[in-house]
Amino acid sequence: MRSTRMMLALTAGTALVLTGCGRDDGGSGTDAAPETGEEISTEDVAGEIDVWAMGAEGEKLPDLAEQFEDAHDGVTVNVTAIPWDSAHDKFTTSITAGTTPDVAMVGTTWMGEFAGLDALDPAPGSIDSSAFFEGAQETAVVDGTAYGVPWYVETRLVYYRTDIAEEAGYTEVPTDWEGFRQMAADMQEKGGAEWGISLQPGGVGSWQTVLPLAWTNGAEIAGEDAYQFDTPEVAEAVEYYQSFFTDGIANPSPPEGQTEADFTSGDVPMFISGPWMRGIVEDMGGEGFAEQYDVAPIPVPEGGTSSSFVGGSNLAVFQQTDNRDTAWAFVEWLTEPETQVTWFEETANLPSVQSAWEDDALASDEKLTAFGTQLETAQAPPSFPTWEEVVTSFDTEMEKVAKAEADPQEALDAVQAQAESIGTGQ
Amino acid sequence: MSFTQQEPTVRSRWWLYGLLTAALAAVMAPFIWMVLGSFKSNAELRQAPPTWWPEEASFNNYIELFSRLNFGQFFFNSTAVAVVVTAGNLIFCSMVGYALAMLDFRGKNVLFALIMGTLMIPGVVTFVPLFVLVANAGLVNTLPGLMLPFLVAPFGVFLMRQFMIGLPKDLLDAARVDGAGELRIFFRVFLPLCGPALATLGILTFLGSWNNFLWPLVVAQTEDTYTLPVALALYSTGQNATQYGLLLAGATTVVLPVLLVFMVFQRRFIQGIATTGMK
Amino acid sequence: MASATTTPRRRSTDRRRGETGDPEQKGRGLRRGGKSHTVGRRREERAAWILALPFLVLFLTFTAWPVIQSTFMSLTDTQARDLRTPFAVDFVGLDNFSQALADPIFRQAAFNTAYFVLVGVPLTLTMALAAALALDKGIGKFRSFFRLGFYTPVVTSIVAVAVVWRFLLHPDAGLVNTVIGWVGVDGPNWLGSTTWAMPSLIAMASWRNFGTAMIIFLAGLQSVPWSLHEAAAIDGANAVQRFRHITLPLLKPTILFVSVTTAIGYLQFFEEPFVMTDGGPLNSTISASMYTFQQFSFGNYGYAAALSYLIFVVIVIVTAIQFRVLRERD
Repeated sequence: MRSTRMMLALTAGTALVLTGCGRDDGGSGTDAAPETGEEISTEDVAGEIDVWAMGAEGEKLPDLAEQFEDAHDGVTVNVTAIPWDSAHDKFTTSITAGTTPDVAMVGTTWMGEFAGLDALDPAPGSIDSSAFFEGAQETAVVDGTAYGVPWYVETRLVYYRTDIAEEAGYTEVPTDWEGFRQMAADMQEKGGAEWGISLQPGGVGSWQTVLPLAWTNGAEIAGEDAYQFDTPEVAEAVEYYQSFFTDGIANPSPPEGQTEADFTSGDVPMFISGPWMRGIVEDMGGEGFAEQYDVAPIPVPEGGTSSSFVGGSNLAVFQQTDNRDTAWAFVEWLTEPETQVTWFEETANLPSVQSAWEDDALASDEKLTAFGTQLETAQAPPSFPTWEEVVTSFDTEMEKVAKAEADPQEALDAVQAQAESIGTGQ
Repeated sequence: MSFTQQEPTVRSRWWLYGLLTAALAAVMAPFIWMVLGSFKSNAELRQAPPTWWPEEASFNNYIELFSRLNFGQFFFNSTAVAVVVTAGNLIFCSMVGYALAMLDFRGKNVLFALIMGTLMIPGVVTFVPLFVLVANAGLVNTLPGLMLPFLVAPFGVFLMRQFMIGLPKDLLDAARVDGAGELRIFFRVFLPLCGPALATLGILTFLGSWNNFLWPLVVAQTEDTYTLPVALALYSTGQNATQYGLLLAGATTVVLPVLLVFMVFQRRFIQGIATTGMK
Repeated sequence: MASATTTPRRRSTDRRRGETGDPEQKGRGLRRGGKSHTVGRRREERAAWILALPFLVLFLTFTAWPVIQSTFMSLTDTQARDLRTPFAVDFVGLDNFSQALADPIFRQAAFNTAYFVLVGVPLTLTMALAAALALDKGIGKFRSFFRLGFYTPVVTSIVAVAVVWRFLLHPDAGLVNTVIGWVGVDGPNWLGSTTWAMPSLIAMASWRNFGTAMIIFLAGLQSVPWSLHEAAAIDGANAVQRFRHITLPLLKPTILFVSVTTAIGYLQFFEEPFVMTDGGPLNSTISASMYTFQQFSFGNYGYAAALSYLIFVVIVIVTAIQFRVLRERD
């Protein structure tokens, strides 16, 4: 049997070389999909589904899935845990070879790419998209169609040392751009810090630092079907970002992997990051460190609107599933508020469903509430399939801005030119 | 002109020992740091500058790792794959290597050029076509799917050929005069002379297979076919934050069998030609 | 089999020729002998193919076939989404290749790779050969201990390696800058400097890889008979002369092997910048392979395959040069 299939594979491949080829006009790319997928039938919830989830989520999901199995007779959920490392490669090769699972946890920035590969099943209309944080929900929408739902979320806030801020004369963090930069400068001058703030000086992932600033300035990174990096709103944000380096407030070439250590030692008393950093710095700072720092929203320019970056992971059902009803029923169940609270208690992953935040488990934690508030306005990058490729050129240009004093507008023009030659991929 | 090779008697050169010891310290430092680091807490591992000796040494990382992993299964999978792949390379590559080095046949130069050619092609380019092939053959999520593509490698052929080209050709002629069959000559006369080369190929192939990450990750669809490196990466790398303690404990665990294999194989370094008594 | 009945003396010169591995001469020698040799030749030919058969089957299926497919891909505009319908792509001929040659980042990456290879390969080989010679005949005791120790960088997790090297190269607290500070030199920010990041990675790669080359050299050195050294020593040759005239010629096939495989590996270097610098600062350490890998993960399969084959062509040229310089015939 196997050898026959192997022979078939070989002959098919030979045909590929011999017959030549040609692109079917209009056949490529996603055809206009309906806004929602077909309805699911709750009566057919039975049988087995395979679920992939990364790292700790993959480890803890089986326990949670048991509750789902208990509630539905005859359902088996097989969870496979996948390392985060190279998970993206595993997904793309599996999609290519048609060996995808029924349900999977999918990184928010992968949605456009996978949907572009025609791998994902449109979400049924029975899932209420307004229950989620708006920015998070948008990560699941590709070209007007929702291909999944947000599972858990994270967003970025300013971490700062309250004790050093006080020495510099601040009891809270100014919410405006100018005041915020002044505070960083003051902490450096009066607070005895080596640098005022740790900002990533370009390079891989630095867009997560720069784009929130642009969003607070009212920038739209993408229109309907094109990227827009060269607008004045983005340019002003990049100028603001650059000023931290040119004014000597932020280190343009910091040693790798030292942000947490510099924060607890007080050498660099501010940085911007997500909720996972709380555990890390409190662990490192030792007892009582929780009282020595606080979190604050991303600063906003005059007349701007609050924003930040929203990340996390989505849940998606693959088109090749042969148990679509059960797959979506499981996804729906995972996004019920009660399930989300249980999941938070198990993994500390923040619920994507807004109403889950009313539960005491979350509402009683002040720093956590700050993240919850920021999530209401946090935004996600466009879900174009080519996002990762385009943003690589953005990251490279930001490095020139931070380290080589490149002109912000020129840098953005270069990004825009690249983005246009790459296209949105839709 | 035949003689028995004797182990050289060497004057001890203190300066050479000194030099080698200094080099050894520099060379081994990261390895030692990795092992020591596996006994440290995450907080200590994030300190800057890093510490050498653990402030509070503990087995916590190992305990956590092994209580969360189905270690036996992963260890079995890794071992099975590495042993089969190593055996395949030792046998098949030395066979071709011998043919290329010692025998004369039509198509020899073409075959050698072909093998050298594929040795030079960046592996990343064939990854996806290879996976599609394996998936179409129904080998996804099976141990053969992890083994078959690596059973032979151009590298091994090249290594064996280069070694055997240095062996005395008159051994072949002499054996033919004695009436030995061609295959017998290879297995009985030449293969036993290849100890050092086989040991080298064994170590390198075992290491490569043992540490292979991306292929088993992609081919394994459930955890029963995970190999050790894939399983160890499960909990140490996160979406946003790396668990350094678990990572170093995992790296240390995965390296121990490799060192063991190295020690077993390296005994063969002093064999080969040196012990045959003819030259 | 008349040609085999030689005097011992004749045999030893024959052996020399065998070592240099000239297939043409061997062939001629065999063909010279008349009828019985054609039978022998046919037997030899059959044996060769039998020995090659298991390898060939596996090799053609799992290596050659994917290579053919990827070659085809490099001539098309294949993207990730096309892989399920691999026929429905357009032939673009050599467009991918000309695009690659005009790509400024790829040019930068190619320059970086050349720099890395030209400095890294000789450095690694020298370190490996020195270590192998010292361990083979230089010392009597603790050989296997040193052998294992020198091999540990090869097996150490790249993550641990990265942490320790970053610490060593740290601009303020690093060991390297502390040491050169003693002699009054103000060390640079190694990994943060466009000038020094690449030399730092070269040092790191040589350190990581010389162990592999060392054990291959050690295996090769086993075929250098000690008695030749002793005889030469009696004749008054010093260590350097013995190395040049005895060890080096006999080690040639091994040197060729190590230098070819190291060059191939280094032309595809990837891990060091990936964990240490992400290709920065300002693309000064991005490598051709790293850039190719990026293109693959963006799903630009056709373009990435073309980049891979450009790297391949360079490797072929470099290998051909090495075979030339270190040719097996004397």
